[in-house]
Amino acid sequence: MTDHAVLLAIRRAFVVVVVGNQIGLTLPSLAGHPHGTPAWIAYALLTAVLAVVAGHVAVGRAQLHPVVAASVTAAVLTASVLAATGLPAEASFGAADWAFGLVGWYLLLVLLEWPRVVVAVLAAHICFCSAWFAHAGDGDVGNAGVVILSGTSFQLGVLVMARVVLRDARLAAAAAAEQEAARTREALTRQREQDLRAGFEGQLGAVLPLLADLADGVVTSGDEATRLRCSVAAVQLRRLFAENDDVPDPLLHELTACVDVAERRGVVVSLAVSGVAVEVPTEVRRELVAPMAQALAVAEGRAKVSLLRTGGEVRVAVVADAPAVPPQAPVEPVAVTVETSVHSGLVRSEARWRTT
Amino acid sequence: MADDVTAVVVDDHPVVRAGVEHWLASEGIALVASGEDAGVAWEGPGADASVVVLDLHLGGVAPALPELRKLVEDGRRVVVYSMRADDDVVLQCMEIGALSYVTKAEGAEHLVQAVRAAADGQSYTPPALAGALAGDSSETRPALSPRETEVLVEWFQSESKEFVAQRLNISLSTVNSHLERIRVKYAAIGRQAPTKAALVARAIQDGLIGLDDL
Repeated sequence: MTDHAVLLAIRRAFVVVVVGNQIGLTLPSLAGHPHGTPAWIAYALLTAVLAVVAGHVAVGRAQLHPVVAASVTAAVLTASVLAATGLPAEASFGAADWAFGLVGWYLLLVLLEWPRVVVAVLAAHICFCSAWFAHAGDGDVGNAGVVILSGTSFQLGVLVMARVVLRDARLAAAAAAEQEAARTREALTRQREQDLRAGFEGQLGAVLPLLADLADGVVTSGDEATRLRCSVAAVQLRRLFAENDDVPDPLLHELTACVDVAERRGVVVSLAVSGVAVEVPTEVRRELVAPMAQALAVAEGRAKVSLLRTGGEVRVAVVADAPAVPPQAPVEPVAVTVETSVHSGLVRSEARWRTT
Repeated sequence: MADDVTAVVVDDHPVVRAGVEHWLASEGIALVASGEDAGVAWEGPGADASVVVLDLHLGGVAPALPELRKLVEDGRRVVVYSMRADDDVVLQCMEIGALSYVTKAEGAEHLVQAVRAAADGQSYTPPALAGALAGDSSETRPALSPRETEVLVEWFQSESKEFVAQRLNISLSTVNSHLERIRVKYAAIGRQAPTKAALVARAIQDGLIGLDDL
């Protein structure tokens, strides 16, 4: 429940209380005793105030505009004065005093949002009635005290309860909003992780199936073919780790990473670079490096990796001693042209990308 | 003749001088002098050596391009032997008129071939130099035919002329003559230096290139 809805519900409850009070309790008292015209004017004023507030509540407006609140408060206080001064002799705080308690309820109804103002205005109302009672000087002081204390303390109690409910609703709403935000954050994080995992899965290529096969015992590391798959996977992983590094020449950085893995396997690799670094998009880099990484993974003995950048082209090539043609990259290249061939025991694989 | 080839090595590292001497000696090339500055190529036995093997970094920060220029202008045949493989430095040396540029990452084989070719007044294009030429995108670069470019690139990529010949389905000598033509085209651009002029003149005499190619 929102703040607004709680305030509206409380104000509705007050409207019901005030209507019940005014018709059920006050009207018989007013009608049953000899009151003058001012009392009826006061009653009409209060009814008008009730109509204004009930109108607000009926259209779902919980909050009274401060100007409206001030106007109707003035009307209520006027009614209070009219009713108190219009009472017959010795009637203050007695059975004929229809207005004292009702005005208190009206003040609660109108000034619900401003508890300090309610207390202040209620105090003014009580003071005025007490002063009028003292001025007349003919009433029962004990009875008056009981009426003031019981009526006012009950009304103040209700006010406190209403304020507590409102405060709790506000805290609950804040907590709910915080929970909602936390849920959103959590969902976002989950989505990001999922994206990252999907991205890696897309790039992991041969790694996941190989790990699954090893785990299932479908293949063993003693197998030559499996070792070949492992070395392909190792180069792919190393390249993937290098892909997001912040370096001035990412393509050369990825090539160096693949060369590093091959060298650890005992392949003697020479790397030659020519031309100046150009901007190469990540997808193109993947495609440029992939054939060379595949070839290096199966290379034995010596290999020569070269990176050539001319005015309109980037060419990554590897010439290596290899027992067989390297396995084809799992993904067909889109942006680059790949050519692989074998000549007198040397495997040559080249990927070319036109920059223009 | 191979027996007549003599060389002088200018390098500030004794171990490099000793290594080069050993490589050349094992191929029958006599090292007549060696030292850590270019003076050794101007005085004493070094002044008569047929080939100068020059390191570009002789202790100083700047590459020894003035020394190279002086040697070339005097008609000496110079093979630059350097640890640097930056394309612009390589191309600058070619522009000045060095007959070859061998990086120290490239082994004995390329250095010996470069010295032998230089002794005959010919250029030699090792793979790193081929890469620099293939990657050259300067405005002054000579126009190479698609075949020449392909030979350069394949040679740079494979380091094996046999492999290039097989790949492009041409003979080994055709691979060599393509590389030679490329070097001559390079030699013909920019300011003329005696060795460059001689290289071009010789290529025309041999029918390797025509005047139209220049």
